[in-house]
This record gives sequence, C-alpha cells and structure tokens, in this order.
Amino acid sequence: MSTAEKQGLFLQILEKHKGILYKVAHAYCADNEQRKDLIQEIVIQLWKSFNNYKEQFRYSTWIYRIALNVAISDYRKEHRRKEIAHPISNNILELAENDMPDEKAHQVKQLQEFINTLKDLDKALILLYLEEKPYKEIAAIMGISETNVGTKIGRIKIILQEKFSIL
Amino acid sequence: MQNTDILALWKTYDNKLETSLQFNKKTAEAVTQLRVTSFLSSMRPLKLFTIVVGLIWVIFVDTLIINLYSVASPFFIISAGIQVLLTKIAIGIYIYQLVLMHQADISENIVITQYHLAKIKSTTLLIARILFLQLPIWATFSLPLHIFNKENWLLLLVIFIIVLAFSILSIWLFVNINLANKDKKWFRLIFNGREWQPLIRSMELLEEIEAYQM
Repeated sequence: MSTAEKQGLFLQILEKHKGILYKVAHAYCADNEQRKDLIQEIVIQLWKSFNNYKEQFRYSTWIYRIALNVAISDYRKEHRRKEIAHPISNNILELAENDMPDEKAHQVKQLQEFINTLKDLDKALILLYLEEKPYKEIAAIMGISETNVGTKIGRIKIILQEKFSIL
Repeated sequence: MQNTDILALWKTYDNKLETSLQFNKKTAEAVTQLRVTSFLSSMRPLKLFTIVVGLIWVIFVDTLIINLYSVASPFFIISAGIQVLLTKIAIGIYIYQLVLMHQADISENIVITQYHLAKIKSTTLLIARILFLQLPIWATFSLPLHIFNKENWLLLLVIFIIVLAFSILSIWLFVNINLANKDKKWFRLIFNGREWQPLIRSMELLEEIEAYQM
C-alpha cells in the first residue's frame, strides 16, 4: 500500500470513529483549547501507530486503546504542548449547533460532569460501559479480565444509579 | 433515572454526535504530516546523556580510588567508594527506565501501557532517594586522619553530630519517601515544584492500576 493510500484509509477510519475521539477528549479535558490539542495529539499517535495496527483487534478497540492511553498520559500537559508547538490551529472535530432538547442536553452535561470527577481508569471504564461495549472488548482495551470488568462495571452501575436516581 | 435510561441517554448523545460532529479531513491530513517525535522518544536522549555522564563520573572516581588507595585518607576512600556505588545504582535505574521505555507501547492495553509509563516516572523517585543517601559522605570525605587526637575533641564532636544527623536524615528519607507518604506535608514540601507534579500523578496512577488488577 502506498503512503497516499495508507493515509486515505487512515482518514476514512478516523472519520468513521470520530465520535470516540470526541468523547474521550471530553472525558479527560474540561478546557476547550486543551481538548483541541488533545484530539490533535491522539490523531498524531494513531497515525504513528497505524503501521503496527494488529488485525486481531477491531478498529474501535485500537482507537480506544490509543486515545485513552494518550488522554491518561501526560501528553496533554502544557509543557508538552509548548514542546510540540503544533503549527495547526484549526480543529479536527467541530460540533455543529446543538439541537438536542434542553432537558436531554442538561442531563448529558450532568453525566459528563460526573465522568470528569472520576479517576483516570474509572473514566475509561465508564466510557466503555456507556458505549455498551461487550465485556470481552472492554477487557481487551483495559487489560483486565472479563470477570474483573464485570465486577468494576457492577460498582459503576451502583454509583451511576445513586448519582442520577433523583433525575 | 435507571441505568437503562442513562444508557439510552448516552445513545441519544452518540446519535447526535454522529450527525452533528464534523470531521475536518484537511486538518487531520495536515496533522499526520507533522514531524513529531513521540513523548518517550523525546525523553530518551536525556536519559542516555545522563547515563554517559554518570559512567564518566564513575570511571573518574574509581580511577581516583585505585590510584590514591595507599596514600589518601581512609575517610576519602570509603566516602568516594560509597558515592560511586550509589551512582552505579542510579545508572542501573536509568538503564531500567530505558528498558521500560522500549517496552512501552501506546497501542497496548491501558493497564500495561500506563503501568510502564507511570513506572518510568516513579523510578525517578528511587533515584532521588538514592541521592539523599549520599548526604553523610559529603561531611566525611575530606576528613584528614591527623585531626583524630584528644586536643580536637570539640571539633570531632561537632563533626560526629553533623555526620550522625545527616546519616539519620538520609536513612529516614530513603525509607519514608514512598507512595504511602505522598500526601504528607514534608513530602509535598520536598517534591513541591512543577517538575515533580507528573511524578506525584504517576504514583497516584500506579496506586489506581494496582487497585484495578485486584
């Protein structure tokens, strides 16, 4: 495959899974500007790892692994930003005007705020749970056993239930 | 709101993103063309430089010890010997960090990758602990043998107190600088600067990883 073909395929995969990038960035970055940088960083790392993509995993699994690893790591730190000095100021992802009903939009916002308060690994797990990923895939992304995934998700369900029971 | 409602809410949000999220292909394409070294690759030259400088220092001090063994004060020989031994251990840790960097793969699962990344940073703390162990030898290496007589008892008492205080402090710090004490005031005071923040965060993450594997 030529570089142009490879790049074309990469952008196609990225476009198909753009939601993952957006949701991960939102969970780990509250600041708009930093979020834009984090998305750029994730795209860079995905592209750098694209040659080593293992077909045994689905693209979504591969993207989740890298996106979450980049978000959890120190990549998004300010000093790193200056070091990289990305010359690209445009956003890779732009959200068009929100036409969600007010009540739903408010509930989503509350859910996002709740996710933001969680520890790094719990954030990753809750995102995968909300995405309704099968335990097998969650286990492959997180690197824990399926039984452990079940236990941790059980705990998250209780916290979610407590937090949102009044809504 | 039940869990099923929460999942349904997320699904609505997901569908909304599918339709409203615009992917800027041109920008993404430009990003793939950036020549950026990875975070770990950028750390490697500094580690290698430190190892090389450390090795030069070790060779220099070892040469001094061998050549001055019969003429220098035993305090100098023993102090220099301890210092060079601790430097060798620190070099060993830097080499271990390079191995961890080699093993770290951003496309691996979260627990493995984050463990490697956090371990690289947290082993820097081990180097700091070892450096603290060197404290007493800076008070002993220049002691000449001839001061050890009755007339100098007051000076010897002062030196003894300083060396004892440094030894107790360095051993205490070596033992107590660990994950369990990261929230203590004295710990936060020593590791206060911005440069230590990623290290503290790594220690917290290591704790989280350990809890996740249970």
